[in-house]
Amino acid sequence: MGMDITVKIGGEAGQGLQTVGNLLALVCREAGLYMMAINDFESRIRGGHSFFQIRVSDQPVGAPHHKVHLLLALNQETYDLHGKEMVPGGLVVMDGDKKTVEKSSCVVPFGDLAKKAGSKIFANTVATGACLSLLGASFDLFKTILLKRFGQKGADIIEKNIHAGELGYQAVKDVSFKWAFEWKPDTPRGSLMTGSKAIALGALASDCRIAAFYPMSPATGIMTQLASFADHFPLVVEQAEDEIAAVNMIIGASFAGVRAMASTSGGGFCLMTEGLGLAAMTETPIVIVNAQRPGPSTGLPTRTGQGDLHFVIHASQDEFPRFVFAPGTPEEAFDVTVRAFHLSEKYQVPAIILSDKYLADSIFTVGKKLLAPESIQRFIVTDDDIKDPEQYKRFAVTSTGVSPRALPCAGKSLVVISSDEHREDGHISEEIEDRLNMVHKRNAKVPHMIREMNPPEKYYGEAETLLVSWGSTRGAVKEAVDKLREEGIDVGSLNFVDLWPFPSDKAEVALKKAKRFFVVEQNATAQLGLLLKEQIGLCFSKAILKYDGRPFFPNEIVESFKHYAR
Amino acid sequence: MSSIKAFESSYENQWCPGCGNFGILAAMKDAFVSQEIQPEDALIISGIGQAAKTPHFLKCNMFHSLHGRALPLATGAKMANHALKILVNTGDGDCYGEGGNHFMHAIRRNVDLTVLVHNNRVYGLTKGQASPTSDFGMITPIQHHGVISEPFNGPAVALSLGAGFVARGFSGNTTHLSRLIREGMKHKGFSLIDILQPCVSFNKVNTYDWYQRRVYDLFEENYAPDNFENAMTLARQRGDKIPIGIIYEKEKPTFMERIEKFAQGPLILRKYDSGKLQAFLEQG
Repeated sequence: MGMDITVKIGGEAGQGLQTVGNLLALVCREAGLYMMAINDFESRIRGGHSFFQIRVSDQPVGAPHHKVHLLLALNQETYDLHGKEMVPGGLVVMDGDKKTVEKSSCVVPFGDLAKKAGSKIFANTVATGACLSLLGASFDLFKTILLKRFGQKGADIIEKNIHAGELGYQAVKDVSFKWAFEWKPDTPRGSLMTGSKAIALGALASDCRIAAFYPMSPATGIMTQLASFADHFPLVVEQAEDEIAAVNMIIGASFAGVRAMASTSGGGFCLMTEGLGLAAMTETPIVIVNAQRPGPSTGLPTRTGQGDLHFVIHASQDEFPRFVFAPGTPEEAFDVTVRAFHLSEKYQVPAIILSDKYLADSIFTVGKKLLAPESIQRFIVTDDDIKDPEQYKRFAVTSTGVSPRALPCAGKSLVVISSDEHREDGHISEEIEDRLNMVHKRNAKVPHMIREMNPPEKYYGEAETLLVSWGSTRGAVKEAVDKLREEGIDVGSLNFVDLWPFPSDKAEVALKKAKRFFVVEQNATAQLGLLLKEQIGLCFSKAILKYDGRPFFPNEIVESFKHYAR
Repeated sequence: MSSIKAFESSYENQWCPGCGNFGILAAMKDAFVSQEIQPEDALIISGIGQAAKTPHFLKCNMFHSLHGRALPLATGAKMANHALKILVNTGDGDCYGEGGNHFMHAIRRNVDLTVLVHNNRVYGLTKGQASPTSDFGMITPIQHHGVISEPFNGPAVALSLGAGFVARGFSGNTTHLSRLIREGMKHKGFSLIDILQPCVSFNKVNTYDWYQRRVYDLFEENYAPDNFENAMTLARQRGDKIPIGIIYEKEKPTFMERIEKFAQGPLILRKYDSGKLQAFLEQG
C-alpha cells in the first residue's frame, strides 16, 4: 500500500464532527482516493465524546486503522483519550483556547477564526481547511467541494464558508506534516455510501413499496434514506406505533400484493418475532433488517456487535424455514437486499438481513455500479393461471412446498389465510393429517432454498489456516490476511454472507482442505463457530472474538492470530 | 346480484349454540348483500378469539391473524391497495387488551376500516377470564373476589382520540346491526362499532335478557350524531339505559387521503420503472 493515512476528529456530540468528516470524505473522493470512515458516538444528543475516523488511501480500504496520523481535537478530552493512538511523528491539531499544548501539537484557534468569518458555526469549515492544508491538498479542490455542498444555501453561506475554510487553510500553511502528499486530480473511485444507504437502495431496486419501522439505533438510517427517496417512487414509509405494528403492517401489505420490509435492531426484533412466525405460518413474504447492536436488553445503543446470529436463525416458536443473510460491505448489502426480496417471494418465507452498527453507519467507497433490475419477478398467480378459481387453495400441497399465491379480491379465487394450523384451503384444522401435511409442505422448501445459498467468499482459500468470519468483519479479516501473508504466514479467509438455511455442502468443501481454522466474530461465544460444529461437524481451533461494542481493527486480528498460532 | 346464500360457507361453525356471534355474522352477510358486495370482493381481517374466527364462517377473502394485530395488518393491506374495502372482526380482549396500542394509533391515522368489536365482556376462547370490558366486581374462575379494574370504554376512548364514526350495536338486534355495518362501511375513515354481545357460556351477568331490558335505539329517538359532548355522554351511558346506534359521525381526511401519492391510484397498480431507478442509482 502506497499511501495510507488516518485522520481522527474528536469532540462533543453537537460540535459538528460529522460535517468535518463528510467534507474531508468528499474532498478525498473528488481527488480519486479511496476512503472509509467510522462514526463513533454515545447515546446522547449533546456532550459526551464522539469521534469520526477517516482512513484515506490510494488502494481500496475495508476496515479502520488502529493508529492515527492526524488528530483534530476539538476539545481537551479528545486529546486525553486518543493521544496514545498517535503514530510516532503524528500531528495533533488543537483549538487555541485549550490548556494543554503538547510538543507535537499545532494550535489553530478554530473558534476565533470562525468568528472572523462571520460566526462560530463555521468552526467545522475552519477545521476542515486546516486539515486539508496539512495533508497537502490544494485550496481550490476544497473550494470545489464547498461550492457543491453549500451551493443550494445561498451566496452568503457559500462565501462565509469559503472564507472560513481559507482562514483554517492559511493558519497551518507553514506547519509541516510528515504524511502530506501530492494530490493529483483524478476521477472518483466510486460513491461514498453507508451500509444503511446501500440497504435502502437495495430495497428500491427490489421495488419495495411499503417500509414500516419504529425508530431504533442503529437501524433508523435505512428508513431515513428510504423516506428521502419516497417522493420519487411508489413507496410509502410509515413510522409505526411499535415494532409489532411495523411487522404486521408489512405482512398486511405483502398479503395485499406489494413488496414490503421493516428494519429494526435486536430489541425491536424481539417484538417482531411474533410477526415473523405469522409470516412463516401464513407463508407471506417479508424482509426484515436487524441492524445489530450489543445487548441484551437496551445494551449499547450506539455500538456494534454480531450477537444476534443464533437469535434470528431460531427466533419465534416451533420450526419453519427462513432466509438469513449478513452482508459485509455496502456492495454486498445492496445485492443481498435484492436477493432477499426475490427469494422471500419465490419461496414465500421471511428473509432476514443482519446488518450491524459498524456496517450501518460507516462510510465506504463503493466502486461497483449499482444496477436496477430490468423487471421484478413476482411469483403471483391470477384467475387466468388457475384451472378452477372457485376451488383455489392458498396452501395447496406441491412438490416444492410452494403453493400458487393469489392476491385477495383480485378475481374469483378466494384467498383464505389463518395463523392457526390449517388445511390446504386455509381454514383452521386440528386434524393430524392436515398438521403433518402443512409441516411437510413448509419444510419441503428447505432443500430448494439451500440450493440458492452462495458459498462463503474465499480469500486465499487454499491456505493452511483459514480465518472464518461472517458479515461486516470481512474487511478487517481480509486486511489481516494480507498483513500475515506479508510476514510469510500461510493464511486465508472465508466470509459467510448466506447463513440460513446453512449451505452445509458448500461450507464443507470450502473448509475441509484447511489444516485448521479460526473463527473471527464480534460476539463472546463464537456463534458461527458453533453453527459450523453443529451443521458440518467441523470444529474451530481458536476463536478471535471482540465484544466491547467497537469494530475490529485488522491489527487486533493479526496480534490475536500470532498469539494463538504460537 | 349478491345473495345471503352466496356467502354460505361449508366450513363447520365452531361457536356455542346461542352465541351472540351468530347475530353478528347474520348482520354482516345482510350488510354485504344489501350493498351488492360479492364474496370475492369481501375482505375480512381478524385477530384471535371467538370473534376473530368469524370470517371462517362465511365465504370471503380473509386473513385470520394474531391476537391484537388485526388493525396494523389491515392498515398495511390498505396502504398496499386502498381500493380494498376491509372489515375487521375483533373482540374486547383482542382490540382493547392485546391490541390496545394499535387501536389508539389506527384511530389517530384514521385508516378507512370498519371495525366490529364483538364485546361480550369476557374471555370466551380461553374459558371465562375477565376481559378489559368486564364489569367491576364480576366474579370469574380467576378473579375469585371480583374484577378490581374499571371497565375499558371503547367508544369513549375512540371519541377522545377523534374517531370520525363511533357506534354501538347489539347482537340481539340483527336488522339494526346490519344498518350500523352498512353506515360504517359507507363512512370514509375509521369506523368503530362496539357490539354488545352475550356470551352464553361464560358471562352469566350480561345476558340477552339483561341487554334487552336496557338497550334503546338512537335511530328511533331521531338522535343527531353530530355533537361531540352529546356523543361522549351517550358513550358513557352503560347502566340501566344503554343507547345503540350511531353515537358520533364526522368526516375528516382519511389516512389514504393524507398520503399524497395515493391520489395517483393504489400502490399495487403503480408500474415499476427500471430506467428511472437506474438514473436515480447513478446520481449517487
